[in-house]
Amino acid sequence: MADVVLGIETSCDETSAAVLVGERRRPELAGLVILSQDVHRVFGGVVPELASRAHLAALPAVVDRALAEAGIGWSAVDAVAVTQGPGLVGALLVGVVYAKALAYAGDRELIGVHHMEGHLFAPLVEDPDLAPPFVALLVSGGHTLLLDVPAWGRYRLLGATRDDAAGEAFDKVATLLGLGYPGGPAIERLAPQGDPTRFSFPRPMRDEGYEFSFSGLKTAVLRAVRSSDDLERDRPHLARAFQDAVLDVLITKLERAIRATGHRTAVLGGGVACSRALAGLAARRLSDGGLARVAVASPRLNADNAAMIARAGWYRLGLGERSDWTLDARADLPLPGLEPAPTTLGAAHP
Amino acid sequence: MVGFWLGIDTATDIASVAAGRPPVAESGAHVQGARRHAAEIIRLVDFVLDRLSLRPRDLEGIVVGDGPGSFTGLRIGWSAAKGLAHEAGLDIRTIPSLMAAAAGASLRLGTDPVAACFDALRGQVYGAMYAFHPDRVDSLVEPAVLTPAEFVRVAPVRPRLVVGGGGPGFADQMTDWAGAPPVPLDSLPPAATMLLALLGRPGVGRTLDDPAIAEPVYGRPAEAQAQWEARHGRPFPDSSGRAG
Repeated sequence: MADVVLGIETSCDETSAAVLVGERRRPELAGLVILSQDVHRVFGGVVPELASRAHLAALPAVVDRALAEAGIGWSAVDAVAVTQGPGLVGALLVGVVYAKALAYAGDRELIGVHHMEGHLFAPLVEDPDLAPPFVALLVSGGHTLLLDVPAWGRYRLLGATRDDAAGEAFDKVATLLGLGYPGGPAIERLAPQGDPTRFSFPRPMRDEGYEFSFSGLKTAVLRAVRSSDDLERDRPHLARAFQDAVLDVLITKLERAIRATGHRTAVLGGGVACSRALAGLAARRLSDGGLARVAVASPRLNADNAAMIARAGWYRLGLGERSDWTLDARADLPLPGLEPAPTTLGAAHP
Repeated sequence: MVGFWLGIDTATDIASVAAGRPPVAESGAHVQGARRHAAEIIRLVDFVLDRLSLRPRDLEGIVVGDGPGSFTGLRIGWSAAKGLAHEAGLDIRTIPSLMAAAAGASLRLGTDPVAACFDALRGQVYGAMYAFHPDRVDSLVEPAVLTPAEFVRVAPVRPRLVVGGGGPGFADQMTDWAGAPPVPLDSLPPAATMLLALLGRPGVGRTLDDPAIAEPVYGRPAEAQAQWEARHGRPFPDSSGRAG
């Protein structure tokens, strides 16, 4: 089993490399570099071609910096873990081919990692005692997943979004409000200045099952923006009402899943989990009442990063899994280990 | 050149890899089909090196097709080259992919000018024209994105042959121009083989100040960038990011 794993993440607009070192079950993060591509701000969203170009230009230096931060030379790296998908295929390809070349040239092991499994493993980087069973809510710009995790590597899909991902809804609403990109942090910064009673938005599907839908909420915000006679005045109130609605839906469903499964731990992951408002609401609704412990990684590990990829890769390598030189990027890579949820939970089927 | 070099070109539908002591390619392999490039590129490298009982660390350097061509294809070849070079501490050189394609035809034509074209879509081609001499390569038309009609107009001479492809009407226009139908790329020696053949000739490659951060010659900006520049009437700002 590898003692040093280099992780590489290029699925969207962050170029990231990380180094994990240590014993089999408790690797430690020795180096992590995340290069956030500013270029996309101009466009109000990620431009895939520009993201791919930026990854190619940045990746070697990002890897070098992560190794330097870890105080480790090339010769010490035993394995390379890389995001195989899902994500922007052109961006993924840069990381996958580069990682294959590194592994091949150095006779190293190679493992392709599912990006969302990476998010699932992110809290484990800082909290090595985190262990299933738990319910995971993974929310990012591309995904909204509610998973029952009976064991590492076994995932039961309870629910997913039917339209926009939660992070995508934040980005779109931020654009409607003239807050720029990325939308989540912008809305979170503004929302505390808003009066929660000035606007009230629907909580789509909150009281039924585990599926999510955010497109109607986005439309409700659009109507409110159009009917506002003073957007400057209303902007913080709209941001507050929108954020409250999204977080209420997310945490209500997480709470429902915790009650249905009987698990005592909830894991929050993905870029939206960087939100202190989300973590705060989860703590109030789940932890404070003693219903469940809430595990959430620090913001640096919840954003797209290579440490989570290295950690998930570490786990897969420990199972004896390896990728070969034909590893290819897949924009629609299915989550490994996905199995049907028990019908008693009334969950969606994968 | 006394040591072994690896050639990689992925600018077109054909991904090719070759290894040898330039100008001779002693081992080569290729696959056709752009969707196979990422999956196959390292396997091709392994195949051509294994036939010579070489590992990447035994190489002196890598010469990679510089484009222009398929954006994604170029990045696959360059990602492979950067990863191999980064780990094994190898030199990286670049040569225009259009030059490699034209050089394949020059083997039978001597010093007569050869035009090379890759389909750039939207009625345009990536085009260039070269005359190959034993000691040098004359670039008669530098790589550019242009319509076939523009290519004919800017070329200083009529080519003896056109290689490559383009959109609808391309073949007829090139046949009228050169007096013979264009030669498809899959009828020519693989580009990676020709990269090794060209390596070492004066003036054929681009000098990379820092191979780690270098990018291929894409030939075109990203569409979003082009629209931004047209809207603002100035070059797009630097795209560097924030490290954390």
